[in-house]
Parts: sequence; C-alpha cells; structure tokens
Amino acid sequence: MNTEETLAAAAKILSDPPRPAEITRPTPTWMNALLASPDDLLPMAGALLDEHLGWLSCVTGLDPGIEAGYLEVLYHFSAGAAVITLRVRRPREIPAVPTLSDMIPIAEVFERELHEMFGVEIIGLRNINKLYLPEDWPDGVYPLRKDFDPAVLNVSG
Amino acid sequence: METSEKKELFTIPIGPQHPALKEPGSFRFTVDGEIVTSAEVRLGYAHRGIEKGAEGRSWVQSLYLLERVCGICSHVHATAFSLGVEQLAGVTAPPRAQAIRELVAELERVHSHMLWLGVAAHEAGFDTLFMYSWRDRETIMDILEGLTGNRVNYSANLLGGVKCDVGDPQRDTILKGIDMLEERTRHYLDVVTNDAVFLQRTHGVGTMTADQAELLGTVGPTARASGLGKDVRVDAPYAAYADFPVKIVTAEAGDLEARFQVRLRELFESYRLIREILDHLPPGELTARMPRRIKPAEAVSRVEAPRGELFYFLKSNGTDMPERVNVRTPTICNMTSVVKMVVGHQLADVPMILVGIDPCFSCNDRMVVVERKQHEAQGWTWEQLRRYGIDYYRQIHS
Amino acid sequence: MSLDLPKQWSDALNTVRGWARINSPWVIHFNSGSCNGCDIEILATLTPRYDIERFGIKLKGSPRHADVLICTGPVTRQARERLIRIYEQMPEPKFVIAVGSCGLSGGAFQGCYGVMNGIDQVIPVNAYVPGCPPRPEAIIDGVVKLLTSLQNPPTPDVAEPSPDQREVIT
Repeated sequence: MNTEETLAAAAKILSDPPRPAEITRPTPTWMNALLASPDDLLPMAGALLDEHLGWLSCVTGLDPGIEAGYLEVLYHFSAGAAVITLRVRRPREIPAVPTLSDMIPIAEVFERELHEMFGVEIIGLRNINKLYLPEDWPDGVYPLRKDFDPAVLNVSG
Repeated sequence: METSEKKELFTIPIGPQHPALKEPGSFRFTVDGEIVTSAEVRLGYAHRGIEKGAEGRSWVQSLYLLERVCGICSHVHATAFSLGVEQLAGVTAPPRAQAIRELVAELERVHSHMLWLGVAAHEAGFDTLFMYSWRDRETIMDILEGLTGNRVNYSANLLGGVKCDVGDPQRDTILKGIDMLEERTRHYLDVVTNDAVFLQRTHGVGTMTADQAELLGTVGPTARASGLGKDVRVDAPYAAYADFPVKIVTAEAGDLEARFQVRLRELFESYRLIREILDHLPPGELTARMPRRIKPAEAVSRVEAPRGELFYFLKSNGTDMPERVNVRTPTICNMTSVVKMVVGHQLADVPMILVGIDPCFSCNDRMVVVERKQHEAQGWTWEQLRRYGIDYYRQIHS
Repeated sequence: MSLDLPKQWSDALNTVRGWARINSPWVIHFNSGSCNGCDIEILATLTPRYDIERFGIKLKGSPRHADVLICTGPVTRQARERLIRIYEQMPEPKFVIAVGSCGLSGGAFQGCYGVMNGIDQVIPVNAYVPGCPPRPEAIIDGVVKLLTSLQNPPTPDVAEPSPDQREVIT
C-alpha cells in the first residue's frame, strides 16, 4: 500500500459515523484527525492497527495556553512515509484520556511522560511512576504546561 | 522486605548515559534463582528539561540546544530539527546542503556503530575488540573534525542548510579513511560471526520475533535484526536519501548475533553511500534564506538515527521562539522491548541484552542493589554484574 | 590513618603517598546527566591513540578507591544526590575535575529546569576543563595540571578549595 492509499484507508476509518473526526492534511504525507470524543480513541486506534495502517510512533502533549481552556494530546501513527495523527482535546481543569497501553505496550512510556509533564490523567494506566522527573519533584507541578513557574522548584528544594 | 516470597530484587541503574536514550536511569528487575521474572524501567538520570528549554530560546539557539540532546548522534537531532523548522517555514534547503547532511549522517552512523561495537565487546569481556574498534574509530573522528571542525557535536547544520562544504582535500581524506575502515569492518564482521567464545554470548540470546518487535514498537537495527523492515531512510526518504538511496539491511534470527551482524553490514551500506555522495555531490548553494520569525504551523520530522527512528514534532507561533518541540528518541522505544525480552532470560545475559539495543555508552558508576529476603541489601556494581556474565559463560565453556 | 611517628618518618611517608598519588592516581568517572559527548572523549583517553594509562592513571569503578573524580554534565536534579554520595564516599585527599561546558556552568542547558547549572554548585571543584566537548588531549592536560599542582603550591590554573569549602555545598 503506498502513502496515498494508506491515508485514504485511514480517512475512511476516521470519518466513520457516528462521530467522524475532523480531518486535515497539512502536508501530502501527514494527516491530522481531531476526534470528537476521547471515547473514540481506543476504537479508532484499534482499527488503524487492525488494518496495518501504522504503529504508534510518538505521543505529544500540547498546551495552547490558559485562555484556550483545553489541553491537547496527539497520537502519531507512522506507516511508511505517512503519519496519521489522532488528536484529542480535554478540558484543562480535568484532562483525562483512556490508556492505549493494553493494546499497544509502547504506549505506557509515552503516557507516563504525558502524565508527569502535563498532568493529563491516563485512565486505566497501571504504572504511573515517574519516568523522567526525579522522585522529589513536587506534586501538581507540570513543567511542560505554559503556566509552569520554575521558582516553585527552588522553594521546595 | 516481604517474608512470603523468595525472590531477589535487583535494581540496576543503567547509569548516566546517552540521551538517544533521552534519560536513562534505572532498570528494576526481579530474579527467581537465575531467571528474570519481571522488569521495569525508571529513567530520569539525564533529564535536563530540554523541551521546555527550547520554548525559552530562539529557533537558532534551540538548534544548538537540541544538538546536545545526544553527543553520539548529535547530527541526526540537528538534522531532524532543521528539516522540521524548514518545513514550518516552507523553505527547502538546497541540494548540495541536503547531500552534505546525508554525508555527515552516514559518517556519524559509522562512528556510532563502531563505538557501540567496542562497548558491546567490553560488556562481553572482549576488551581487545573494544580497543581495536575504538582505535579504528579515531579515523572517523579525524574525518569529521576535518570536515566540520569538531570531533563530537559537529554542528554541521544551519536552519536552511549546512555550514561546512566538502573540498577536494577533504574528499581524498575521507575516501582513504573509508577504504581503511571497510577493510577493518570486514574483519569485525568475521569476528562476530565466527568467534566461538563471542557467539556463546550472542547466538540464540535475547531472541525477538518480527511480530514481537512490531508489537513492542521496536525501531532501528534492533527491529531490522528481527526481520522487521523499518528504516526511515527507506520508508520516508529525507535530506538527499531519495537521490542517494540506502538498501535496507535485515536479518531473520532476531537474536543478539543478528543485531551485531545487522549493524556491521549496515556499515558497508554507509561506506557505499559516502563514496557515492562524494562522487556526485550536487553543485550550488549551501543555505537557503530562513525567516527569523516562523509563521504559525505544525510539523513532523522523522530521521533514522543510528539507533532507529527519531521523531520530532514542532509547533511555531509566529514569533522567533518555538511554541513546542517534542523529541521522541529511538531508545525509549527499544527500552520497552528490553523490559519485555529480558523476562525468562538468565541474569548472566542481562548486560548483553541491554547493550544489544545500543543504549549507548556504559558508565563506570552503574550500581546494582540486590535485595534478598534473608540478607541485608547488597550493593553490586554494574562491573560486578558484567563480570558475573563473563565468568558464567567462561565456566560453561570450560 | 594516624601513626605516632617521628617527624622524619611521617614526612617520608607523606612524600611516598604524594608520589604514589601523583604518579598513579586512581580516577573515577561520573556522568551527572551530560549528553555523553564528554564521556566518550574521556573514554577515548583510555584507547590506544591517547592511552592515558601510560601516565599511570587508572580508571576505577568504586569511589572508595579513587583519588580523583572526573565529572561531566550539568548535574541534573536526579543525579545530584548520587554525585554528593559519590563525593562523600571518596577518601581524603580527593580532587574533582569538571569536564565540559556543562560541568562548568550548565553549558547549553543553563537555565533549564532539570539542571543545577554546573558541578561546583553541588561539590567543590579543583580543575575545570572547558570544551563542548574538550578533546581527549585537553582532558589529559587538565588531569596533568591537577597532578602537577599537587607537587607544587597552587598555581593560578588550578584552584585549591579552602577548608570550609570542602564541605559539600547543598
């Protein structure tokens, strides 16, 4: 399957009712799919994997700023030259997404990083130990959020 | 300390290491007798806060920051970042620059694989091979220094192109050096394929099937040694790989021996590419104009580091500073495979299985904490664990 | 170790100890979170082209046997505790060489939330070897300068921390 065919097949899955994702193509090889609900994440990721339309290459957290009111999580699936990115937006106050780690083992390390850096809750993830941040890192401080204040670290030691 | 279970708990800090592994830290596993029954990875040792740091630096300053995510594969990081920023700005670096990017990338791959060969040999107790491979590696260091001005952290990339050119004297030096290295690589391939003592540590050890490699998200030579044909240079050619393509190198066995063979055979491909680029270097400019402020956009940039796929996600916001830089290094993917693969293996095989994914450089101060039910916790050094593996196999052999 | 010896014997003993330390210092290497660039150049000093062992310098695995700590990296928060522990485990007299820009000031990572911005923010340092990374020759030069300073009074090149600086900076 070449890149065009891969992306066409992915688009078909992602635009399935009842909640089609909002699909954009920033480049000829990259497809973005903004999911209507986090509940779509597992079935859509599963469908991509079943059809061999990519493997989970990376998970990126995004903080568009306090005014936006949400945090965004990007799940990048690579298939040859194609990259299919599933995007989920969650309210800033209680950001939570379901875990992909039962289906995709590598997701565990990506989700642990997402959790400690952005404070996104990963529902169903068993291992939420710190991955990169030190043990004595203060609770509730998420360094990759835009409102992270490094002064907090000096105060707590 | 539990009283009901007779398991021994080992914590092995992999030691301050190489950040193609982003940040290595410790590797906790439980041993039942000789066999590993469970494993967990805990990193953080070299976590510096680079992604956040990039948000507080300009695009140009961030290039110099990201080059130093890893000293062993500094060029691929800079290349991934430069390609990504060029994508954001809608700029394409000129063909000569892309070819030089590929040239330096392949030279870096040679240095990295030779470094790994020495380190892996050291883990197996084969210090002669370590000394020879690192002596030969000095040739590549000289070549890179002559080309870019530094032995490590070459800084060949600029946003929009490269800053070093290849003249005739450099060309001749490179070709002579490559000839020598190719002959040496043939010798090393013979050693890892035919040396009975070495094969004891690698043949049939740490085997991973193609399906397992796929499921665990393995990348790079580690995946290719299991027959999984993943190579970003082939799947999604970047820089000049469309004009100077690489032939993918795979093996079927999926064991440690296969991982050695794949990395060494890849070196022959690198040598071929280096010669081809030098013979057909496109003429022209070295840089394209880049705006200082980058319009709001997002980009994904993937390159093949010596360890596997390196994934960059970039977001710009109209200013001269990045909005977001996300770096996903190959070793974090392969570390997951180690954590799963090591279960069911014996303690003596752990050092080699770890080194088989090329987690970079071994450090002296790795410490292992052995917690036993009846005894006090003991401190082992990694050196002791490494020696344990060497002595174990020496006993079997005799 | 304190023996009640006549002065000329304890002087002689000190000279032998000093000579042994200068001519065959045992070195431990620690990476406090560097990119590994400095570490591979340090390791290169062991390999045939540079061969630091012909100077009598031996790389050991345990801090308890070491005279000199060669340290790289900007000192990440995670590595800080380990670095302090290693320094405390080394017997007196002990010396620290900071290798690489990161070790000196945090280098490229200065100001990043994960780092302490340099080794001397955590432990006292006797010698600084700048570079990103410094060449193996520069590293050897730094070690030799330190050893030479042990024979002679402190030179401007090498700093001798004052007694109260010898406590670990926390």
